[in-house]
Parts: sequence; structure tokens; C-alpha cells
Amino acid sequence: MVSNEDKSDRKSAQDIINQLSVILRTAQIHDPNNIAVTTAIDRFLLLINPMIEAERSTTLELVGEFFYIDGSRIRYSLEYLLNFDFLVREFKNREIGSVIFKDKITPDDIKVFLKAFILAGFSDSPYEKISEVMEESNRIVIDRLKKVKEGDEVDVRKIIKKTYYNAVSYSKGVMTKIKSGEKVSIKKAKRIVETMVDQILEEEQLLLSMTAIKDYDEYTYHHSVNVSILSVALGQRLGLSKKVLTELGLAALFHDIGKIEVPYELLNKPTNFNDDEWKLIRKHPVWGVRAILKLRGFDNSTMRSSIVAFEHHMNYDFTGYPRVRKHSELDFFSRIVSIADQYDAMTSARVYSRIPMSPDKALSLMMERSGTQLDPLLLKFFINMVGVFPIGSLVMLDTKELGLVYESDVVFMDRPRVLIIIDRNGNRVKGPVVTLTEKDEKGNYLRSILKILDPNKYKINLAEYLL
Amino acid sequence: MEQIEGIKEARDILQAIVKGKKTFRMYPQNNPIYVKTLEDSYAKFRDFFDYKEKFVLQIKHNSISYDSEQIYYSDEKEDNLALFFFKDGLRELTFKKGLLQEELEEFFKIVAMDFDREVVDDDIVTLLWEKDFQNIQYVVDEAVLVDLDEEDYETKAEEELKEKVSDVDELMKAYAEGFKEEDVKGTSIVPITEKDLKMLEREMEKDSSNRIEKLADILFEIIYQSESKSDFEDTFPFLKDSIKFSMKQGNVYIVLDIMTKTKEVIDDPLFPEDSKKYMRKLILYAGTDEIIGLLAGLLDGGVEIEEKVFEGFIESLDKNAITPFVKFLGELKTIHARKSVIESLIFIGKKDIQALARGLDDQRWFVVRNIIYILRKIGDKRAIEYLLKTVKHGDIRVRKEVIRALGELGGREVIQSLRECLDDLDVQVRIAAVKAFGIIGSEVSKKIILEKISDKMFKERNFEEKKEFYEVLSKWKDEEIINFLMKVLKKKTFFGRAKNYENRACAAFGLGLLGYKEALPILNKYKNSNNKNLREYSYIAIKRIEHGQ
Repeated sequence: MVSNEDKSDRKSAQDIINQLSVILRTAQIHDPNNIAVTTAIDRFLLLINPMIEAERSTTLELVGEFFYIDGSRIRYSLEYLLNFDFLVREFKNREIGSVIFKDKITPDDIKVFLKAFILAGFSDSPYEKISEVMEESNRIVIDRLKKVKEGDEVDVRKIIKKTYYNAVSYSKGVMTKIKSGEKVSIKKAKRIVETMVDQILEEEQLLLSMTAIKDYDEYTYHHSVNVSILSVALGQRLGLSKKVLTELGLAALFHDIGKIEVPYELLNKPTNFNDDEWKLIRKHPVWGVRAILKLRGFDNSTMRSSIVAFEHHMNYDFTGYPRVRKHSELDFFSRIVSIADQYDAMTSARVYSRIPMSPDKALSLMMERSGTQLDPLLLKFFINMVGVFPIGSLVMLDTKELGLVYESDVVFMDRPRVLIIIDRNGNRVKGPVVTLTEKDEKGNYLRSILKILDPNKYKINLAEYLL
Repeated sequence: MEQIEGIKEARDILQAIVKGKKTFRMYPQNNPIYVKTLEDSYAKFRDFFDYKEKFVLQIKHNSISYDSEQIYYSDEKEDNLALFFFKDGLRELTFKKGLLQEELEEFFKIVAMDFDREVVDDDIVTLLWEKDFQNIQYVVDEAVLVDLDEEDYETKAEEELKEKVSDVDELMKAYAEGFKEEDVKGTSIVPITEKDLKMLEREMEKDSSNRIEKLADILFEIIYQSESKSDFEDTFPFLKDSIKFSMKQGNVYIVLDIMTKTKEVIDDPLFPEDSKKYMRKLILYAGTDEIIGLLAGLLDGGVEIEEKVFEGFIESLDKNAITPFVKFLGELKTIHARKSVIESLIFIGKKDIQALARGLDDQRWFVVRNIIYILRKIGDKRAIEYLLKTVKHGDIRVRKEVIRALGELGGREVIQSLRECLDDLDVQVRIAAVKAFGIIGSEVSKKIILEKISDKMFKERNFEEKKEFYEVLSKWKDEEIINFLMKVLKKKTFFGRAKNYENRACAAFGLGLLGYKEALPILNKYKNSNNKNLREYSYIAIKRIEHGQ
């Protein structure tokens, strides 16, 4: 439970990060003594000094893609999204992991920090430069950005994997149970989605990487879970609250539930559908509404899920199905889920299309559909989320290494983390995972992506590498 | 020693949780026991946190431990706190220093819920998760989410997926082609701008619109797309649910929307008759006890319902709604709610007078009186046969109302009953009856009143009653009445002079009401009478005749 006091503290913490970002942005344009900069500094001091006074010191830390103040993660708010992203990028550029503010900070302390910060931006060894300049101030201390420990990551990956398979297993169970007329537990669905929401908030990239592993034999169940994860991840980028994300995750998990009514043989038909078969397939949104409403009584979450089940193929411009007599704007969730649905469907192997599209091709095609089939604004956020090189992309590096994109970088979208699968000598390997933002002493990137290849063309089993 | 002390305090806290669970289930928030339990429990936590940073409980099937020491054990199936937590997968519960009393209260509220009996869609873990406590943390075992036969799903699925090892040759081919293949560019990222964020904000604001309205629209789309009777059968219950849900939420306008759309379907000549049957059932459903009961609750709770919407909804109902409305009329607590229901019954009661009249058998006098009022307002003469049965009702207020109603409805059949009422033991009934005759205004009525006033016993009645009779009589502005009144006004007696003066005063009053100018000389004479009543009413009559007052 969040008390009013806590809410106010969180807001103050967001304000501090935002204001620091404002100072740094302003200082990049103006002289430190310019009134725009000094006013921004004064406002920052008004925010930070009371906090320091209460706790003796205040630590601003960057962990992964998130800021923490005194150990508490500060959630992104839509209002400050751009400034937060700016600060993450600038901290990473300078390899700053944390800034500790002690005692009462003065405008001069901040000016020293600004000087250090700006000079470091031009240095080949930014962190060293900033450390050197910061020696002038004993009230602001900086620390280097920590690398993620491999061991920690393995454990987290295990937990994420467990969550993912629990969800797939649940999704399979639901469909089987509905078919056999058994009772389905929605409580379980909620729990599963809640866990996914928590993990999206903490380890977005790891859970997203699970969606890149496609299981041809269990497509239907994996698809439901993948769409749920992709939708929640997009929802998180849009700044939705945890509770709303759960609602979105549930709606996405059940979006295709109407397919249980489609005969198995038809769903698995390897050839093209004839008109009658299409007619039947196109009924699944209507069947989905009924299936969801039968599962449980009316409540906000059920209603939302039913709406999404009905609308997810209608298209932004209503050219899809089912056709309706009167158009009313598609539900916000429906527009999110239809993006996630298209992306996952395109990048998965299907009975009638054994070779799936590569993630980048799918995104290109989706961009062509922007404003017609898909909501252009939400698609923009989605593309920003999955990145230039989505997880599972096969990439050739300028170091003559071949790798799979393992994790996107929220700030440097063209510099993801890559799992090397063939080393520079042409030997097959499994690892290491390299971070493309790493630089040598001269400030040059150690590795860059040269080319992107289609992993499906070479029948690369992503599960072998990503699981 | 310190550890033993810690364990003792841990036990105390656990007992406080057990007590809190029970108390919060039994008492409302404003009850002193509720408040004391919360404060005492919080004090125990506060004392504990004086020397410890956190209070961690390990949960097993039948036991709860603190610091590896079992502090709770129960093998009961019910009232077992360990099992209560354990069954939803909760394995560890931590209360951190800094715990707020509000947090503890919310925690107690969650654990006090009767998950077996109450219709709760969430389990304890979900409820804790939704609260997002800052100082209460928990560890759960997600294994409870997996069905027993799917326990090793992850292992199997992973093994199967990994079996399909990537072909080394293909991999090497990819590597080789990586040098040759033309550049394939990644998707170009268009950065998010301030304008995008503003647009998104607007979209999210719009998103709070009512879902049930949209779902109802979807259900009607499904209805229109239905191809068979079974399609209707399947969708029909959800439309019912939509009505119920909307009414529960106080969204009467959505119920009205559903009713309007239902009528459109019924009126659509292209719709199969078989399917219209379901739509008619839906209209009937809106008038059931269940739905009208919810509406009554809204009215009693003071929920604002737009007048047009309310009227529209009532108009859309069928006659089956009459009985539930009558039922709730007797149960409503507020005047505003009763007024609304009465107005509703005036509207739909016309559809079935007999059903409405059944309310006259209600044991509660005020319900009967309200029904009579409604029947009177409807003004359908078919109501008379039912109303006549209540003329002898045990409650005077009911009798007065029914007499008035009979008067307004009129007709031969009411005369006898009203006539009998003129001789009732209760003066109020007698006055009501004479007024009713006045409303009827027929020659028969006039004759009955004249006959009653002329009766030698009439003068014995009290002055106020007599005055009412004369007042009614003066509604007939004809010669017969004028002559009669003039005769009474002039009449002198030796015996019973006081009562006679009362009659003469009433006659003067009546002539005044009639505005009979020819009576002025005699009235002027009597305005100086020694009798107070005659003097006063002659004066009043003169003023009325001269000034039309």
C-alpha cells in the first residue's frame, strides 16, 4: 500500500531526476552562469537539500535502465519520460553508476558537477575525467556504472523461464479445460500475469527474450503468452499502472480464446483456407467474447478481455473482422494487443507458413500498416520498445563474429547485448554475451553491428541459445 | 536470553494477527473493538521494531516459524492461519520496520476476508500484490499455479525445443553469407516526441470511458450477426448480465440503451420471430425483482439518475415490473425513492390494473394508501372494483385516500359505498365522503348530500363537519341549493337554538361561496347577530359576495 506520504516522496524523487536532467540539458546549451542554468540549479537544490537533511545523504543510482534513489526504484512517469531517457543515456555515456549528494549542496557544488559532466562528454575516458574534476567537491561523490554479474543474470533467467513456462502451461490448461467443460481458475491467471508484470518492471528484456523462442508444436499457447508479455511490456512503456498492466496482460492472454471453437483440423490445415474456412476462422473473435463471459461473471477485467477478444482483428481503420454496423473507436487495449498479436504471429512458424518472418522484416511490414491496420502512435512506442534489432535477431558484427541479439538497450537502441554463436575464427561457440556499448581506451566501440541476417533462413533454433 | 525474548514477542505478534483476522471479520471499521485490536496489534509491531529491523515469518502447511522456531501450529482444515497462507503459495511474510498502521489495517482487511464463502475473484497473494505495500513483503511459490499433471511442463518443453539443434552446416552458411550478403538495415526508429506524449496522454484520458457500454454494443453486434437460434441462446444470458451489471453500477442510461436496442431488434421485420422471443424475454428480465430491486437500491441510496433516463427506462418496461415495484415501494426508506417508484407505477400501472391492485392486499397501510393514490392518478375506472374492497380498511388514512379516489373515479358503482361512508363513525371519513360526492358532482350526489343535511340528526354533528358539508353543497350553483340555503339561514327554532345557529352560520357560509348577491340584505342583518358563529360567517359571506374574496 502506498501512503500519501510515500506518494509525495515518490513524486519528489521523480522531480529530482527530472530537474537534474533539466540542468544538464540546459547546461549543454548555456554557460553555467546563465540565468536559465542557475534557475534550474536553484530549483534542484530546493528539491534535494531537504531530502539530504532528512537522511544525511541522498544517493541517485542507475541500475539497468532504472534510477533508484536511496535504494527505491523510481518509476517512469509519462510526464518525465524524455528527461529520464536523456539522463539514462548521459549517465551511460559517461559510465556513471551513482551520484551521492552529502550535506547541504550549494550552487557551486552543482556547477563543479556540471563542469565535470560536460568535460567528460568530450573525453575518451569519460568516467576517469569526471572523477578527476569531481575531486574539487567533497559533497558530491560519483561511482562507476556496475556491470551485471553473469551469475546473477543466470539465476534471474531461471526465474523468468519458470514464469514463462508456468504461463504457457496455464494457457494450455485453460484451453483444454474449456474444451472438456471443466472449471477454469481465473485467480491463477491473475497470479501468473501479476508475476509477469513484476518481471516486466524489473527484467523487461529477459522476459521479452522468452517471446523470441517460438514453439511450433505449441504455437497457440505460446502465442497467447507472448502476446500478453509484449502487450504488458508496451503498456509499461506507456506508463500504465501495475493494476492496469495486469488487466492488459489478462486481456492479451485470452485474446484468442475463441479459437478453441475452431476445429483442430482447420487450425492445423497446412494449405490455404477456402472461403468457408475463412468464414469459420473469422468467427473466433465472437466466440472469444462468449468464452470469456462464460468463464466468470461480469467485472471490469472480464469486460475488457471480451472487448479485446472481439476487436483484436478489426484493424485501426475497421477493415478487418468482424465487420460491425456502427463503428466506435477501438479500445486502447485492443489497439495494443493487435500490435503484439501481429508481431508475434509474423515472427512465429505456423502450419501454413513454416518459415516465419525475421523480427526486423515483421517490424518493417508493420510500419507499412501504420495508420491503416495499426495505431500509428502505439506502433511507434512498440518499435521503440523492441528496438532496431529485436531480441533473436541474427547479426554479423564488425569483429567477424556472428551473434544473436540477446537483450535490447533501452537507450542505445542500435547497440544491444549480443550472444556470440560463431567467434572471429569461425568456430561455433555459445557465448560470451557482449555489450555493444563497450568501448576501448580510445573511446571507440569494441563491436558494432555490420549486418542483420534472417535466423529462420538458416534454421537457427533460438531456444538452443536463449533458453 | 535475547532470542527467547524475541520468540516470545514473535508469538505475541502472531497471536495479534490471528486476533486481527477474527476481529476484522466480525466488526465494522467504526467499532471500538476493531479500533482497539488494530492499535494493540500495531503497538506490538512497534515494540518489536524497537530492536529488530524486520519480522519474518516462514510458512509451512500447518505451521509458521520465526527465526527457525515454530511459533504457530494447527492441523485443522479451517481456522488454520498457516494453511490459509500456504494454500495460495505464500511461503514467507516479512513486515519491515517502518510499517504503517494503515498498512497493518489493510493487511488485516485482506486476511479477514472469507475466501471460501465470499465471492472473491482474487486470492490472498493477488490482494497483497495489488496493495503494493511498502513495508510488507512476501515470497510465493509459483508451483501452486501449475496443474499437477503439468508439473514438469517446463523441463519437457525445454528439452523438446532444445532437441532441434541448429544445423551446424546452416550455421556456417549463415556465417559465410554474413560476409557476402547485402546489408540488411534494421528498422529505423522514430524517436518519441513531446507531441507523441501529449497525444498518448489524451488517448489514456479517453480510455477511462465506460466498458459496459461498449460491451453491450458488441453483444448487439453479435446478435445481429447470429445465424442460428443457438447463437441467440448463447448471447442472451450476457445481455441479461449487462443489464444487471449496469444497474448495479448505477448506469441506468446503459440499461436504457440496451432496452432501446432490444426494442429495435424486436421491431426489425428482418429478424426471425424465433429470436425475437429472446429479446422479449430481455425486456421482461429488466422488470424482474432482481433488477427493480437494484434500481430501488439506487434510488434509496440517493444515486442521481437523470430524469429523462429514468422515465425512458420506466417506459421501456413491461407490465411484469409492476409487482416488484409494489414490493419495493414498501421497503424503501427515503421519500425521494418512494416518490420515484410511485411515479413509475403511475406510468406502468396502466398496463395491468389488476397487478397493481394486488398491492391493495399489502399488510402495510402506507403501501395500500400509495397504491390507492397511484390508481387514482391513473384514473382507470377498472380500478373501482378493487378500491371498493378497501373502503372498510382498518386504517383511517387508507380509507380517506380510497374515498377520495372513488370520488375522482366516479360512476354509479361508487355511490352506495360513499353513501355509507357519510354515516361512518369517524368524522374524517364522513368529511372525505362528502368531498368525494362533491368531486363526482352529479345530481344524485347533490340529492344525497341534501338528504343528509336535512336529516334531523345532522344538526347534532360538530360545526366543522357541518361546514364541510355546506361547502360541498355550494358547488352546485343552482336554484334548489340557493333556496335550501336561504331557508336554513332564515330558520328559527325555540329548542336547540345553539345547534340551529350553527346550521344557519353554515348556510351563510354556503351562500357566500355561491356569491349569491340577493342574500346580502339578510346577511347584513345577521352580521350583527348575537350569535358569534352566525355573525362571523355572515360577515365572511358578505365580503366574499362583495369583493369576490
